[in-house]
Formats: sequence, C-alpha cells, structure tokens
Amino acid sequence: MKKILFAIPLFLLVFTGCKKDYLETKPSNAVTVAELLSSLNSVYALLDGVAKEQFAFGIGASTGHDNYGQKSFDLQNDLMGNDMVVHSQGYGWYNATYNLSEWARVEDGRQSDNSWYFYYDMVKQANTILPVVDGIGGATVAQKESIKGQVLGLRAYGYFYLINNFQQTYKGNETKPGVPLHIVIPIESKGRGTVQEVYTQLVADLTLAETLLTGKTRTSKNFIDVSVIQGLRARVALLMEDWPAAAAAAKKARTGYTLMNSVQYAALPAFSSLTNAEWMWGSSIPSDQATIYASFFSHMDIRTGGYAALGGQKKITKALYDQIQTGDVRKTIFRTPGTGTTSNPDYNQLKFQVPDINNRWAADYLYMRAAEMYLIEAEALARQSQDAPARTVLESLVQARNPAYSAASFNGAALVSEILLQRRIELWGEGFSLLDIKRLNQGLSRPTGAGNHGSPSFDPGVYTTSPADPRFLMRIPRRELNNNSKMTDSDQNP
Amino acid sequence: MKKFFYLCIFLLFSSGVFAQTRTITGVVKNAQGEPVPEASVLVKGAKSGTTTNANGSFSLVVNADAKTLIISSVGMVSKDVSIGKNTNVNVTLTTEAKELLEVVVQVPYGTVKKSAFTGSENTITAASIQKQQVTSVTRTLEGLVPGIIATNGGGAPGTGAAILIRGVGSINASSAPLYVLNGIPYDGSITALSNDDIESVTVLKDAAAGALYGSRAANGVIMITTKKGRKGRTNVTASLRQGFMSRGIPEYDRVNSQQYYELFWEAYRNSYVAQGDNPTLAGTKASGNLTGVNGLVYNAYSVPGNILVDPTTGKLNSSATLLWNDSWEDVLFRQAARTNANINFSGASDNSDYYLSAGYLNEGGIVKNSGYKRYNLRLNVNVAPTKWFNAGINVDGAMAERKDVPSGGTATTNPFYYTRQMGPIYPVYQRNPTTGAFIDSLGEHKLDWGVPEQMGTRPYAGRSNLLGSLALDDRSRDIFNGNSNLFGEIKFLTDFSFKASLGLNYLSNNITEYQNNQYGDAAPSTPGGVDGGRSTKTDDKQVSITGNQVLTWKHSYGVHNIRFLAGHENYKYKYNYLSANTAGFLFPGQSELDNGTGAFEPASSYEDNHRIESYFGNLNYDFDQKYLVSASLRRDGSSRFIDSLRWGNFYSVGLGWRVSQEKFLRNVSWLNELKFRASYGEQGNDNIGLYYQYRDYSYASGTGSYLNTTRSANPNLLWEKNKVLNLAVDFAVFKNRLTGTFEWYRRESDDLLFDVPLSISDIRAASIFQNIGSMKNTGVELQLGYNAIASRNFNWRVDLNLTHFKNVVTKLPTKQEKLGIVRGTQRLFIGKSIYDFWLPEFAGVDASNGDALYYKDILDAAGKVTNKTLTNQYSLASFYSHGSALPDISGGVTNSFNYKGFDLSVLVTFSYGGQFYNGNYASIMHRGSAGTHLSIDALQRWQKPGDVTNVPRLQNAIANQEGASSRWLVDGSWLNIKNITLSYTLPKGIANRMHVGGVQIFGNVDNAWLYTAQKGLDPQRAFTGTSDASYTPFRTVNVGFNVNLQ
Repeated sequence: MKKILFAIPLFLLVFTGCKKDYLETKPSNAVTVAELLSSLNSVYALLDGVAKEQFAFGIGASTGHDNYGQKSFDLQNDLMGNDMVVHSQGYGWYNATYNLSEWARVEDGRQSDNSWYFYYDMVKQANTILPVVDGIGGATVAQKESIKGQVLGLRAYGYFYLINNFQQTYKGNETKPGVPLHIVIPIESKGRGTVQEVYTQLVADLTLAETLLTGKTRTSKNFIDVSVIQGLRARVALLMEDWPAAAAAAKKARTGYTLMNSVQYAALPAFSSLTNAEWMWGSSIPSDQATIYASFFSHMDIRTGGYAALGGQKKITKALYDQIQTGDVRKTIFRTPGTGTTSNPDYNQLKFQVPDINNRWAADYLYMRAAEMYLIEAEALARQSQDAPARTVLESLVQARNPAYSAASFNGAALVSEILLQRRIELWGEGFSLLDIKRLNQGLSRPTGAGNHGSPSFDPGVYTTSPADPRFLMRIPRRELNNNSKMTDSDQNP
Repeated sequence: MKKFFYLCIFLLFSSGVFAQTRTITGVVKNAQGEPVPEASVLVKGAKSGTTTNANGSFSLVVNADAKTLIISSVGMVSKDVSIGKNTNVNVTLTTEAKELLEVVVQVPYGTVKKSAFTGSENTITAASIQKQQVTSVTRTLEGLVPGIIATNGGGAPGTGAAILIRGVGSINASSAPLYVLNGIPYDGSITALSNDDIESVTVLKDAAAGALYGSRAANGVIMITTKKGRKGRTNVTASLRQGFMSRGIPEYDRVNSQQYYELFWEAYRNSYVAQGDNPTLAGTKASGNLTGVNGLVYNAYSVPGNILVDPTTGKLNSSATLLWNDSWEDVLFRQAARTNANINFSGASDNSDYYLSAGYLNEGGIVKNSGYKRYNLRLNVNVAPTKWFNAGINVDGAMAERKDVPSGGTATTNPFYYTRQMGPIYPVYQRNPTTGAFIDSLGEHKLDWGVPEQMGTRPYAGRSNLLGSLALDDRSRDIFNGNSNLFGEIKFLTDFSFKASLGLNYLSNNITEYQNNQYGDAAPSTPGGVDGGRSTKTDDKQVSITGNQVLTWKHSYGVHNIRFLAGHENYKYKYNYLSANTAGFLFPGQSELDNGTGAFEPASSYEDNHRIESYFGNLNYDFDQKYLVSASLRRDGSSRFIDSLRWGNFYSVGLGWRVSQEKFLRNVSWLNELKFRASYGEQGNDNIGLYYQYRDYSYASGTGSYLNTTRSANPNLLWEKNKVLNLAVDFAVFKNRLTGTFEWYRRESDDLLFDVPLSISDIRAASIFQNIGSMKNTGVELQLGYNAIASRNFNWRVDLNLTHFKNVVTKLPTKQEKLGIVRGTQRLFIGKSIYDFWLPEFAGVDASNGDALYYKDILDAAGKVTNKTLTNQYSLASFYSHGSALPDISGGVTNSFNYKGFDLSVLVTFSYGGQFYNGNYASIMHRGSAGTHLSIDALQRWQKPGDVTNVPRLQNAIANQEGASSRWLVDGSWLNIKNITLSYTLPKGIANRMHVGGVQIFGNVDNAWLYTAQKGLDPQRAFTGTSDASYTPFRTVNVGFNVNLQ
C-alpha cells in the first residue's frame, strides 16, 4: 500500500506537463521590430543605431581591419586617385585598392560586397522606418517630420554611394544600368534599372527631406539636419552638372557654419572632433566605441601605433604639395620634405590625427564640412561663367587658410582649374578623389619621381588609365547576382 | 547527509565475521580446459570472497548456510554455482564474446539486452578508452566505432574532437550528436570528464536507437556512462601516467635565407620588368630595393643590401656571410609534459554500491604559454534500502585552468601562423647589423619587435615578437563543470516500476584576455605611455536542468516478453554572459580591470534560454527472443519555435529476427548467431543555436541604441526532419571466433533549417531561415572481430571497422537551384555533396611568360558552354566542381596481442579519398609578398621562356593572377598509427610480495606516425576539408602504471 501511495503523486507528475508559458522564452537583449517602431524614444534609439553603424566594424561579411564603415570607403576613394601615396606595403591593407585590382573582386567580404551591403543596409533601415513614422504614438507632427527627413537623407546617402561605386558618373551615363532601387520594403527583387532613375529618386528624396527638416534642430552632428540634406543635394547636383542647383544648395548648406582659421586648421582636433564649427556631419566616437586597429585613424595617424605606423603611412604627392603656396596653413599638415624620419617620412599626412595621444582611439569621423560647400558653390558659379562671385566664394575659403591668397588672376577655364586644385588640396584624404576623377571624365594620372608615386614608396603598379576605366567600378558582388532573381551575370559591370 | 556519510564509511570498512564456517576448494577453468587465474569467487549474499591462483584453484572459508558461489572473471560470463553440501567445486567459465545474449546496451531511459535490440549502436569500454592518453573522450572514438568520422580536434590543450555520426545531417543547423551523461542529456563540458571515470561510451546511430530523444536526436546520440562499484572486495586503484608531447605533424619545408633573398630579388626584378623597365635596369633596381623599406627591410648578411644579390645573375654575393639564422619554431615550441594521476575506491554490497574517484591532469601545450590543468572528483552511489525502492546519485565536479594561445586565424598573435609565415631572415633577437652580435640588456638578448627604432619595420608582422608578447599576455580561463544526477525508483504491483530522475549541470568559464601593456599590439602609443595594455574579463555560465519521470512495465507470458515505458521530460537551459574590459595598464601582469584607465568597448551582458518539454512512450516485444519488435514515440515542444507550431512528433519502428534461434539452424554448429534487423523512424534537429529565428528581433548595440534586424524572421520555422532507414545483419561464427555486423542505412534530412541567402539589395536581410532543402546520406558500415589465435599463452585478436557513406544534396531553395549556393571554396549544388569544392581550375603555367593559367568557359549567344579556353586573368576564370571533401572510406584496425602478462595493441585509423583545400600551403606559395616565408616548392618557379613547371613566376605585387583555385587541392587521404599500447601485468606473486593486489605497467604512443599526401598537411582539421593555421596535433609518448592497492 505504501508503494501505491508513493506512486500516485509520481504518476500525476508524468501526466501533467509544465505550465503553458514554460516554453515561452525571449532574448534578454533584443526587442521585436514592432516594439522598436512603436514609440518615439525607441525610433530614436534605432536612428542612433543607424548613426553608429556608420563607423561600426565588421558590418556585412568581413571582419577585416579595412571594413569600418563610411571612412573605409572614403579612404579608398582617395587611394584610387592621384594625390595619396602609400609609403610602404605595411600590413597589406588596401594595397589591392591602391593598385586598382580590389574593386573587381566579387567574393563575400571583399570591398565591393562590403560596400553593397553597407549602403543597402542603410537603405533598408530607412525603408523600414519610413512607413511607420506616421503611426508613432505620442509624437508631434514636427517630430515625425524630423524623423522622416533624416531617414530620407540616409536613404539618399546610401543610393548616392551605391550609384557612384557601381557605375560611372551621371553625366553621359544616364541610361546605363543603375542599382536596384527600392523605396518600400519590397516583395520581389529588382533589376538594375538606369542611372537616371536613381538620380531622379535622389533628387526627390532630398527635396522632400529639405522641406521636412527646415526649421528642425538636431541633438548633435551625429544626425542629419537640413544643412546636411542641402549638402547632399549640392553633391548630387554637382555630379548632374546642374550648376544652378549645386550653387544654391551649397550656399544654403554652409550658411551658419564658420570656417576654421589658419590656427584652428593646424590645431589638433581640426579633423578629429565633431566640436569643430566647420563640421556639418560626422560621428562622435568615444574611446569605448572606437574600433581600434580597424579604424580610419589606425590607417592614417602614425601616432596611434596602428597600421599607418606599421608601414602604411599615407602621404601627399610632392606634385600636389608643391602647389600649396608657402604661407598656406595646409602646407603644414604634411611632413615637411627633408625633415622626415623612418616612421614619419617626408610628405606624411598630419591632417588626420587623434585629438589626444593618451586616449588614442577616441577620435571623431568627418563626413561633411562647410569648406566642401564653398568649393561646390565656387565651381558651380564658375561653370556658369559667374567668375566674380565664384572668385569671392573661393577667396573666402582659401583666405581662411592663407590670408595672402588672391584669386583675382583667374578667369574662365583657369578659374575652374584653380577651384579644382583648391578642392584637391582642401579635401585631401576626405574621400573625393575618385568621385572627382570620374565626374571630370579624367583618367588616372599619378605623378611619379621623387616624392610621388612609386619607388621608393610602395609601388602601385598602375600610374595612368583611360577615362572611365572599368577599374573605377566596383563589380556587383557574387552573392547578389546569385540570389537576385532579376539579375544574371550579364548585369555585371565590365 | 550525515547518514549518507556514515554509510560511505561503513561501506569502505565493512567486513564480515562469521561463526559457523566450512572450507570450499575448487578449480576454475575456461572452455578449453585451461585454468583461469585471478577469477573472483564470492559467496552469494555474503561479503566474503577470494580469487583463484595461477593454477585456477581457490580455497574459501564460507558460512555454514552459504548456498551459492558466484564465479567471475574479466572477459568471462559470471556463473552462479550451487554448492549444496559439497566442499569441492569445479567450474568452467565461458568467454563473454560467446554470449552475445548477455551483453547489455545503454539505450534512452534504460538498458536492453543486445540480443533483443533492434537498433544500431556501438559501445566502447574503459579498456580501449584508457589506452589513449587524451583529455577528452571524444578523441578516442575515431577508428573504434564504425559509422562515425571525427576531426583530430587539433592540439590545443584541454580540447576535444568533433564527431559526425552517419554522414552530415544538416547544412545550417548543427550536425553534432546529442551527448547524454548517465541517462541525462548533457550540455556540460565533455573535456571536464575524466576518462578514468568512464565505463563505456555508446553511440546510437539509427532511429530505433535514438528516436526516444526526439527533436534532438537527428544527428545520433553519444551516451557516456560512468563507473559503478562492483560486487567483490573493495577496490582501490591508483594510476600514474607521465607523457611527453611533441608536434604530431611536421612543418612545411621552406627555403633558407640565401634562397629567400634570391627569390625575392627575382620577384622584384620581374615586377619592374612588368612595369616596362628593361631587364638590366630592373635587375639593378631590384638589387637596390631588396633590403630597403619597400623590400625585405632586413639584411641578414655581412655585405650592404644593394650588393647582396648580383643585379645581373640574381645570385647571392659570394663574399656575403650569414649573420644570424634564428628559428622562431625553436623558441616558441617545446616538448611538453603530460601528467595524469588518478585514484579511485569502489565496491558494492547486496544493496548498495559506490565509486569514488579523484584525478589530476596537467597537460602542457607544445607551444609555450599554453596548457591545461584539471582536478576531478566523482562520487557515484546507488542504494536499495528495500526491495521495492532504490535510488542513486552521481556527483562530479571538475575545475580546470586553461592557458590558450591564439590559433586558427591569420592574426599575427597566432604562433602557428606566425612561425610559418615569418621569413627566414627575420631574427628573434636584435642584432648588430654588421657583426650579427646579439644586443644585450641586463644580461639578456633583446628581442626584435620589428619596429623602426630597432632593426626596421618588419614587412610581415611588424611591432610583434611572440616570444616576448605571449609570455606577457594572458589568455586563460578557469573552467568549472559540475554535475549531479539523482534518481529514485520504486517497483510496485507486479512488474511495474517508476523512476524519477533529475539532472543538473553547471558550467562556467571565467575568461581573461589580456594583451600586455609594453609590447606588440597593445603597446603604448609613445614609449613609456600609459595607454598600453588591454584586458577583457568574461564570465559565461550555463545551467541546465533536466527532469524526467518514467513508468515501466515489464512482463513475460511464456515466450512473450514485453516491456513498455511511458514518460515525461522537461529540459531547461539558461546561459548568462557578462563581459567588460579596460585599457591603459601601468604595471606588467596586473590584468584585473581595477588597474586600467578606461574601457575600450561598452560592457556587455545578456541571458539566453532554451526549453523543451516532452512526452514519450516505447514498446519492446519479443517472441521467444526470436522475433523482435520495438516502437517509440516522442512528442516534443521546443521554445525555439513559435507557440502555435512548436509541438512535433517523432517515432521509430524496429524489427529483428534471430535466425540462429530457428530450429533449422540450431544444429548448424559453426553458426553461433545470425540476426537480421530493420528499423525506420523520424527524428528531429532544432539546433540553430540560441537565436530567435521565428521572430524579428532587433538587438541592442550596447550603447543605448538598437540595430535593425540583419536577418529576416520566419514564424513558420520548424524542426529539420531526419528519416532514417537501417538494415543490418549481426553474425557470430566458428565458436564465436569471428563476429561481425554489417549495416546499410539511408538517412534523409528534410525540411532543412536552411539559411537561405537573399539578395542584399531587395529584402530586409541577407538571409532567412526556412524549412527548405533536403540532403541524403547513404552508407554502409562493417565491423568485424576475429580471434585469430586463442591459445593458452598467446592471443591475437583483430578488430576492423569500415565506414563508407555518400552525402548528396537533393533539394535546394528554388532561387538557388540553378546556381547553387557558394560558400567560400565550396558550393552547395543538387546532386553534389555538402562539401563539394567549387573553384577556378588551375591550368598550369604559361611556358612563355610564367603566368598562372586558368580555364575559362566559352559561351554561345544563348549562354551555353561550347568550349573552354585559357586565361591569365584570375577574375575571368570559370568555376568548376572539383569533388567532395568527404572521404570515400574510413575506419580503423586494432590488433591486440597477449602473451602471458604482456599486452600489445596497435590501433591504425585511416581515411581514403576526399579532397582537401590546403590554404596553409597556398599562403607560403605566394608570388612575392615581402617578409612572408616561401615553400621550398617556390624554387621550381618559372624563370625564363621555355621553362615547363607548375609554379608561376615570382612577381611582387602582381594583380589578378592569384586566388583560390584547384591548384591548392590535395588528396585528403591519410593513415595514422593512432595508438600503440604495450602493457605488462606483474605476476600475482610478485605483486603480493610488494603488498599490493596487482600491478600493471604500460607505455603508449598516441599519433605515432601519420601518412598524408602532402608533408605538413593536417587533413583531419575539419570535415569541410579546409585548413587554417590551427594548433598542430601532437604526438604523445607515455609511460605509466596502475596499482591495485588491495
């Protein structure tokens, strides 16, 4: 009998299971998309996440130390141009970009795949947020407009780089294949469409975003505001050779920003701190969010002990250096020839340096600053033969670097050339070289000889190319061609 | 608890005293009439006993009421002998192998007689496990169990091997088997279990064997059972083993310093020629550049760098003398010691048994600064206080300290990669550039860190010196693994029993990763700065609890034997992770976070849970032990799937026919056993990790922001299903001298948990898990055991097992059907195996210019391949299929010899067929990557027009010529003398004179000799057939002894 008494409760154990919610588990560090999009604060947390992705390491398929977001792609734009010399092979990062062979690689985790993933991710974030903004409870109309405007700006930014990385410039190539253009969360794949379609959408998004963001303030320069939208609009117009629009947008964009004076320009945090009054958009990166060796400053600043210090120093060409006038502060942000050492050689860049060597990885990334807007405006004016106003705009920029500067002697084509020269000097290392080479329909023309490309510096193997060389294009990543039902190998770039 | 303690004490020291006695004498012989020494003779129901002497005879004083003696001996079937009034008893024991009937198999929720079992299993026992001096039992199975393939697990101390049972079961979910420890599914560390405590390991291979584990059994089950006390005298066994470990796989042969300079000169010269320089100028420039900052930087010879290599001939200057020739391998690798000591106490009485053990293991790594130390304790106790109630507990705990070095990747902190890649001209220590003399400081040679302030920026791995930094770094973990399994069982009514079990596992890792604050990767930005050093402390722990209740009814009606069980189980797993870090350390070795100046990443913590609830039932029926039927059903609910879908059913049916029990075969004297088995069933696989693939979660970034999902959610996600059909025959012939099993199976994995890639541009994520796709494994297994010679003094036994399987992907997601899914160097494609290589095909070297050539398809207008041509542009090369990484056949042979007290066994394992992609070799067959070492095969490079070779010309910074291709595929076949063990058991008389019960001394060699198609290759690195710079497996030479102290 005793046995039976034991057995009965145990029987009950067998045939009664656990409570229903026993099998309900949830991750402790995640929320569903629906929850995330349900309130104003959580949408802000998502926007903050997007902003941080811009400098995140290892987005996509590569954990290479050359995959750290926007600045990695910016750096490649300069490495593929004329004005940046790689001192020696170092750890090998970007060597293949410098010799123009990297962008033909289509495997997962190569630069074309990184770029495709990175910018489409930005587009996807935007397309996820956009349709739900109107339904966010507790948000004012102004807050909703501000979110929408920022998100449209992110989408435009993503497509701007996609179309420029994967196709030649706009002008003359309007009917060439573009990139798959989605403005809603799609049900189906899309083919490449045309370049024109992408630009039409860019203009539309930026125009709407400008309206939505006008009069709105932002909490920090980590986020997009109306000036950034106008700046992007100016960049787009420049590529489209829509000079009036470029001039107007650039002028609006720079309004309210002050240029660095020559003292500030040479002072340390000039190109590594969001506090700089000339900066329009960037990422603030405290030391606990820095990506250390896999970061822009690791590849640029020898003082970090990163890859720049390990042989990968980035130098300005002697050819461009010599064109900077004596007395111009911009000559001081490169190692003076004749004073170089093994680790800090002649012409080594000193422009991008972390603010505090004792907190060596805390350094902000720059995406847009007012000087670029002056240059766009000046060029757009000069292209419209408005030489005098163009000279004024140019001088107001360059005199901030070199008070003795005068553009008085430049007219017509010479003025345009001068503006483009100042553009190369002012924006050295900021990610515009290849964009400009493509836009201006030039081939590569790398100067050689002492202080320029090639021996004794790292030999890029490639010195000149024809205009619109296919090597200027990233190839569409293998996995996109394989998995996109609307694309085949015939959609590949040459 | 106190009572329990006294019970143990009592068990240890109890001995019987009896009033009325008589003496029984007798002789124990085997079937051949030979005496059996060392046989145990016990009185049933009492605690008295003795053992037979060398002549097999015994003499035992027994109580007057003693009725039965139990005679047993290792390897023989124990026998109960009624003594009646006799004083002399002669007994014949039969060897165990003859009695297939009595072998008992561990199955889910119980045991079954092997003869009545319809499933497919293999068991290996303590005897073969202990021959191998390895830390994880997972390393012992390869070559002993048919139907599995295993990796060698590498050589990192304190790690185990990976095992696949019957092919590859899954593409994106795990293909690893389910581990079960003492009847409870086990998440803990296998490495934490001492092999000395393991009684047996049973591998369940088909559905009939494993289906009772339902949603987790699709990849087979490995059941580990620990030792129990046995009836007889208290045993106290101590063992000590001392081993020496060295590299088990040699390094690739590479060039010397002279060859290195000459080859690089050529690489530079060719590079200048390619840029348009004439050969004379190019030669001069190459000589000038050779040891410059864009060359090799270092000059290991006595003459200036620009005249080191002749600009015309490319030969090294004859008056140059080599100033240094340091070996990085010699300074970083070592012969390591391995010490393993164990003591255990065991015994049993009629109503209890116990096993108590303590162990110590210290395994040094063959790389300096790596090693593993483990302390083990275990207590297994079973009690049966009444006839209707019994209970038991197994408690074990292991604490381990593991020191790691980075391995596997291409980081310059990985000593395997580092020593292989480092050019021969780069010294370990700083030298005077003209004399080559060491530069000393404080009486020690100063290390060269490859920085400008010393000998220059070393082009490969500047700012590093692993001899210096590994010693100052700390990559270690403290591991605690604790288990306790408790059960109680009551028997009631007739033939009913009810058993409730509870299993707890706790596993924690306390991990330190500290990069030193002085040199290398985390050195201060300015000498003497305070921003050096980085330390990360991670605490991860998991707790799992499994409870089950099983009701069993077992009954025999004449020739009908029935066993039925029904049960319920729940499983609860919780994982916690916490990690924080800081940088900026002042004092060497002070890696605790309190010492640092600030975090370099946000702190992180999270928790994950996994739960399963299950109901199950099983029926076993046999008719006269001749016709066998078994059926299992299990219903599982898993937290890994959405609530509306999470319950699933799994089942199996097994049939058996023991033909040898039929009348018409009973008189066939040479046939001892013939049994046919068949089974079919469906099992599941839910192992896609602790992720929530069914819901679109966005994860927190750790800085107050959230990132959008990178993966699309699929609420309809469910288990993978494995449908397994198994057909087998077991046989024993010629007085059981030859026994064997032949099995055929077909294993179909359906509704694979497939990580379907999506086009990046259009959908919300890069991939989505879907139940799409199928894969099939078909295979045969053969196991044979042959007692070749069984004589009085000499025995020779051969055990052979062979495994063949073919893995085929049979269905892929629709979008990927045509193109397949490319994964690194391989492609999933219908009709091909899961690990099928997909690479450009290397077509040799253009004899006119030394270019590497590849094949390229020529397509017609419709895109159809019409022909192929050659190209020297790697990016234009077409991809082709190059066969599978999976072997055609693999297996093992054990030869065991026994002569008097000597035992010798040799285990040879092998694998034939399968391709291996040797990326390690490719990395030292580059075209002139400065600072990186070169294989000796680089000497065969193309040099001038007309040279016929398969090594392309060297050329620094060559573009679009190199990439993954069939050039790096080699035959993955191998043969390994995995274990040789020689032991000698001292004669009883000698042992007794030493006042101990028995002494065995032995020596073993693990991984004694390995044959591979290419020297340096480690073909057992991974099932995928791809290599990395992993921790090299080691060879262990070991000596030791076991002493039975009583």
